[in-house]
Amino acid sequence: MLAACFLVGLLIHLVPGDPVEVMVAKMDAVSPEQIHAIREQLGLNAPPWEQSANYVWRVLHGDFGKTIFGREPVLEFLLSRLPNTFLLTICGTVLALAIGLPLGFLAAYHRGSWLDNLLMFISVLGVSVPAFWLGLVLLVTFSVHFQFIPVAGDGPASVILPAVTLGLVYSAIIARMTRSAMIEVLTEDFIRTARSKGLPERLVLMRHALKPGMIAVVTIAGLIFGYMMGGQVIVENVFSWNGIGRVAIHAMLQRDYPTIQGFIILFAAVIVTVSLLLDLVYMWIDPRIIKS
Amino acid sequence: MKFFRLRYLNAIIGLVILIVIVGAAIFAPMLAPFSPERMFTGPRLSPPSWAHLFGTDTLGRDMFSRVLHGARLTLYVGFIAVTIGVVSGTIVGMIAGYAVGWVRGFLMRCIDLLYSFPEILVALALVAFLGPSLDNAMIAVGISRTPFFARVIYSVVLVERSKPYFDSGRVVGAGPVRLMLRYLLPNIIPPLIVVASLGFSTAILAAAGLSFIGLGAQPPAPEWGALLADGRDNMRLAPWLMLYPGFAIILVVLAFNLVGDALSEYLDPRQRWRR
Repeated sequence: MLAACFLVGLLIHLVPGDPVEVMVAKMDAVSPEQIHAIREQLGLNAPPWEQSANYVWRVLHGDFGKTIFGREPVLEFLLSRLPNTFLLTICGTVLALAIGLPLGFLAAYHRGSWLDNLLMFISVLGVSVPAFWLGLVLLVTFSVHFQFIPVAGDGPASVILPAVTLGLVYSAIIARMTRSAMIEVLTEDFIRTARSKGLPERLVLMRHALKPGMIAVVTIAGLIFGYMMGGQVIVENVFSWNGIGRVAIHAMLQRDYPTIQGFIILFAAVIVTVSLLLDLVYMWIDPRIIKS
Repeated sequence: MKFFRLRYLNAIIGLVILIVIVGAAIFAPMLAPFSPERMFTGPRLSPPSWAHLFGTDTLGRDMFSRVLHGARLTLYVGFIAVTIGVVSGTIVGMIAGYAVGWVRGFLMRCIDLLYSFPEILVALALVAFLGPSLDNAMIAVGISRTPFFARVIYSVVLVERSKPYFDSGRVVGAGPVRLMLRYLLPNIIPPLIVVASLGFSTAILAAAGLSFIGLGAQPPAPEWGALLADGRDNMRLAPWLMLYPGFAIILVVLAFNLVGDALSEYLDPRQRWRR
């Protein structure tokens, strides 16, 4: 985590561009002295390693600096958008799991049949669709053409389209992963034993296949949550969803480094937290893991 | 039996699509009715017609010609990004698999650190710092794929180095470089081909995404992601503008996925590298 911060701090100095130049380009008639003064004020004159070390030090104290353009504190600026992003990610993940898990399970159960082949072809197709394109198509169909749903904004109705976009795209991946995980479970010896005991199929699945299957599902859910956090950076832009991804892209186009740095660090923090939570859930499902 | 034939069919569909697209990319200047950058070839924002198969954009440029020329860019971007990712991933993965002790520990820590982030985010961060351009997008996508390739190669090398031929190489006195290049490399080529072909699809998707948000190809380059961004601005007046570049992306990515899946099943039916 610390290493990531330092890296992020150092990364900027590999760059040819300079935010001050972008800023100055928008004003007219600026003297070199003024540019120097702005740089001094923003702390851009110190040597790179010193800036990076300073940056890590300040981040440790909870100070992410201020955005170059709005002069707002970066952390508060980003945190204010985070709930929107979480809302979208959670809706998307739930939707993706709701579509992908049953389909993947169905494909695994009827492995080799035409249904399996059909489902897997659809999911390869789904994996191949760019999320932002699907978003645009949905947007044109439902907002522009039928005018069911507002085009942009972050009211409760506007969450539907971006969440559906993310949900559909990632359900294809989930279906594939669920299928291979469930095939593994269903070919285990204990499933055969359960069947040969004469248990009804429903009980075999509910009692014996469900629990080992759960571990796979939790892994998949965690992975998908991470992917979705990444994928949504672009999807937010399609729908003008007022989340952290949109802010980040905006900052990237403007070379607003403190914001970009803050964004990356915040993201790293979220991902680390999620993977920690996942480990806890594993232990809860399967206490054997604690011992190993 | 039917099962196998179906798998086979998928691969053939994928190959055919690929050949058509590669052909379209190579012969784009001959096939395209207009130059992709020539403006006012017809009325602006005109819907698809015989003169303009995919319609025209705001500047009256012929979309069919633009999409066709975009195939070149897309394949080129995919190729360079995959090459960067595969080469650097192979180097890192091989060294990590060959070395023992702190070298391996250090390399694997670094890989895990990068791997824990979503790839698109790594690519975004890199482009943000390198500056928006198609070249930088390719580099960023390539680097963002490196940890994935490195991990695959690492696990393959671990298996290979425990085989007798590796020890026999040691016994005859081959040095580390010779062991890696002459003994290990030929044996990791098959899995390398599989991950590379599957990597193509992710690389193309990622690069198109970057171009779409303006961090990749810059206008007037007819990159498909950039074309989609254009189409987005005109989606009320001319929704067809964003339809065709999208179809094009889906076709290419689908083709690479189908071929890659078939290859991985053919070369190693048990192991699946696909996440």
